[in-house]
Amino acid sequence: MRKATKAAFTLRKVTESRLFFPLVALLGILLFDFIFIPGFFNIENRDGNLHGSLIDIFRNGSIVMILAIGMTMVIATGGVDLSVGATMAIAASVAGILMNPSALRNEVFFVTDPNYTFQPLWVVIMAALLVAILCGLWNGVLVAYMRIQPMVATLILMISGRGIAQLITNGLRVQITYKPYAFLGQGWFVLPFSLYIVAFVFAITWLITRKTAIGMFIESVGINFKSSFFSGIDEKKIKLMVYTFCGLCAGIAGLVASSNVKTSDANNIGLTTELDAILAVVIGGTAMAGGRFSLLASMIGALVMQAITQSMYAMGVPAFALQAIKAVVVLLVILLYSDQVRGFVRRVSVSKKEA
Amino acid sequence: MMPQISSYLSKNRNLIPVMATALLALAAYGVGAYFFVGMRNPQVFFNLFRNSSFYLISGIGMTFVILTGGIDLSVSGVVALTTVASAALLRAGWDAWVVILLMLTMGMTLGAIMGSFIVYLKVQPFIATLAGMWFTRGLCFFISDNAINIDNRIFQIIGKTKILIPGMTELAIQQGKPAPYVSIPVVVGFLLLIVAVYIAHYTRFGRTVYAIGGNEGRNEQSARLMGLPVNRTKLLVYTFNGFCSALAGLSFCLFVSSGHGLYAPGLELEVIASVVIGGTMLTGGSGYVFGTLFGVMVLAVTQALIQFIGSLSSWWTKIVIGVLMLIFIGVQTILANQKSERQGAQTAQVKMAVRRKRQRLVFGLAAVLILGIVAVVTVSRLRPLVSETEIASAQCEVKPFREDEAASMIKNGAVIVYNRTAGPLCVDELFGIYPDGRVLGNNNVTNVEKQVPAEDVSQLLAAISTDYRWFSDDIYSTYHNPCRQCFAHNILISYEGHEKAVTGVDGGTNMPPGYGLILASIRPLLPEVNPAP
Repeated sequence: MRKATKAAFTLRKVTESRLFFPLVALLGILLFDFIFIPGFFNIENRDGNLHGSLIDIFRNGSIVMILAIGMTMVIATGGVDLSVGATMAIAASVAGILMNPSALRNEVFFVTDPNYTFQPLWVVIMAALLVAILCGLWNGVLVAYMRIQPMVATLILMISGRGIAQLITNGLRVQITYKPYAFLGQGWFVLPFSLYIVAFVFAITWLITRKTAIGMFIESVGINFKSSFFSGIDEKKIKLMVYTFCGLCAGIAGLVASSNVKTSDANNIGLTTELDAILAVVIGGTAMAGGRFSLLASMIGALVMQAITQSMYAMGVPAFALQAIKAVVVLLVILLYSDQVRGFVRRVSVSKKEA
Repeated sequence: MMPQISSYLSKNRNLIPVMATALLALAAYGVGAYFFVGMRNPQVFFNLFRNSSFYLISGIGMTFVILTGGIDLSVSGVVALTTVASAALLRAGWDAWVVILLMLTMGMTLGAIMGSFIVYLKVQPFIATLAGMWFTRGLCFFISDNAINIDNRIFQIIGKTKILIPGMTELAIQQGKPAPYVSIPVVVGFLLLIVAVYIAHYTRFGRTVYAIGGNEGRNEQSARLMGLPVNRTKLLVYTFNGFCSALAGLSFCLFVSSGHGLYAPGLELEVIASVVIGGTMLTGGSGYVFGTLFGVMVLAVTQALIQFIGSLSSWWTKIVIGVLMLIFIGVQTILANQKSERQGAQTAQVKMAVRRKRQRLVFGLAAVLILGIVAVVTVSRLRPLVSETEIASAQCEVKPFREDEAASMIKNGAVIVYNRTAGPLCVDELFGIYPDGRVLGNNNVTNVEKQVPAEDVSQLLAAISTDYRWFSDDIYSTYHNPCRQCFAHNILISYEGHEKAVTGVDGGTNMPPGYGLILASIRPLLPEVNPAP
């Protein structure tokens, strides 16, 4: 009797874990791939580097994963950041123009030397990240100090950000030929290099939020910012910090994205990625109203999004038509989270416990 | 007079943003008319409405959605789907009126589906409508990958009918100018606006819409407790917005007379921006439907001004919209804060604290602004200085095609002569391809030479003449002035006694598809020519 209760208790604990639903969604999609797409799980070893569809999910998902880290923080405070796509474009434009300033002279193909760069790599990366942080700071000031609704405040940068990015690149696509920069998105070190960037950002964020009180502060601001204020948490500073961090994450994602396509294209880099990132966080189970968050669950959410895309590509669905299928799958996944389904799962586990 | 105005304004604070928008639109147009003679033409004024009728129609639906505190991101998807679906149905020979009715029903159905997701399954409006946008955009490409032309007679009649402005016609004829006119979608938009204003302010449904929105969802709870039909109202609002999106899609369709799945990218953002600029709070519960008209006008005037100024690039529109949104949202926030301050009785200490807070806010904003300026200056310092001569070279003259030289190359035995001019550097490159695989090229300064296999040349020639049907009517000249980054091409081919030269320009929409493919197949054979110093 006691043993049975313990087993049911663990089952209940598992189903109520934050990772349960994202993992079920991910495993469901992978199971679908396993049955319908032969060779989806094959991993090749080319010159010591691993290649394959499964690796591609991680590699192509890395941009959304980086964004999802920042977005989780923002959504946990009850906000949302719509401007990450535009911030990505701005960071990529700054990086591109610092490596290949030929666009300022209206020349598209000017530099072809893979070792040429106008500024050294560390200046390029630092400048781009600094500008991205400024974008985040701007959002943070609007949200925290001017008390503008987050969706509206970030919508401003979302609309004008692409204009600013085009202003920086003079409206042209800047070709990036500099080899070391391309390593950010295209390099392999047994696993794709962008995965190490994700791991680094994740580890730092996890340490800061879970090994200090900041994570708890963020959750408390998200649950009720007024009572947090009265219990001595400076909610404005927390919000400012969170949006700035989200800007930084968007900057990193912009660098990876532009190095991936070797171009900084102000119009297309990060287009609709903000939506992917928000959906990744939502699939990860962090409520849009704010409150408790789980970084790992958001990562899995990002992988779910990418796994859908990757398996559709593997099945030969054309890129544009993919959107329709993605929409249906995303809605199904979101419905999995609805109170009705959650209530059903709870009833099942409870009835087992009683039996 | 002045005290009357000020007392009226202080009684109706909600009207301030709307009035500011209306004044801004008129002032911007006035400034434009002062500097540009062309803008004084009344037709230019009416074109503002003609070019933005779909913004207005879609903005009316969006205003209702935003008033309930929701948001609809699916607008652009529904618009694109409407254009593609109606174009495909018309191509299949359906009756135009049936198609229009079907499209409106489709829009309402899509809106109702998204609405029921939001209302009954409690999915966030943001996510449900986002999925709706992806779904509709994706659906477009199941119907057709390419743009479909619309040559239906009824659609053309509706799209091209000119509706003269009463009272303006005689005036214009007296001045010897063509009478100004608007199109049918504009009239439909204004009729919809009148109906929407009536619904919003004079019906029970409209009052419920206002009651639901605002106060971060708490008002919705109160409305529910008051016994208002919250679910039904929200569902109807999303259905109405679906209807507006489909109507906007039809008017977009008439505007471009074709349908494609990539049309109207980011339309929903501009629509939301114009609703916000029109004075509606994005939190919901406050705003006016007719404010959206002025919001749309501000956007249209901005675009017109940027077109008239000419030297400003199109991306300034986005930046201006962002700045305007910032200003309007700032004004709204300040008004809202003042309201809440007036409601609570304040001690001197609290007032001091508020003042200190404001000072801190101002300092913080100033710091961010200064940091931004420093960043821009640093980035521009890190850029190389662009010298005058380089700018001159970028805006150089487009050189004419060297047709005589091309003809003499053909006489010397060349089979394909390819002349490329313009482009960002204003090149002038002439290549001759000979049957034995020699490729000679020059750019008036240096000569280059390259050897390719002779079979490649013969295969290319065969492909050009049979696969791409070079000597048929499928391939024709489409020369126009190239844009700053575009190349102009002139290809002269001599094969089996035929000789034909065809011109084309990058970035044109009328270039025959075969021509582009031929260009792409010739390119790999050509040697690199270093740009002229």
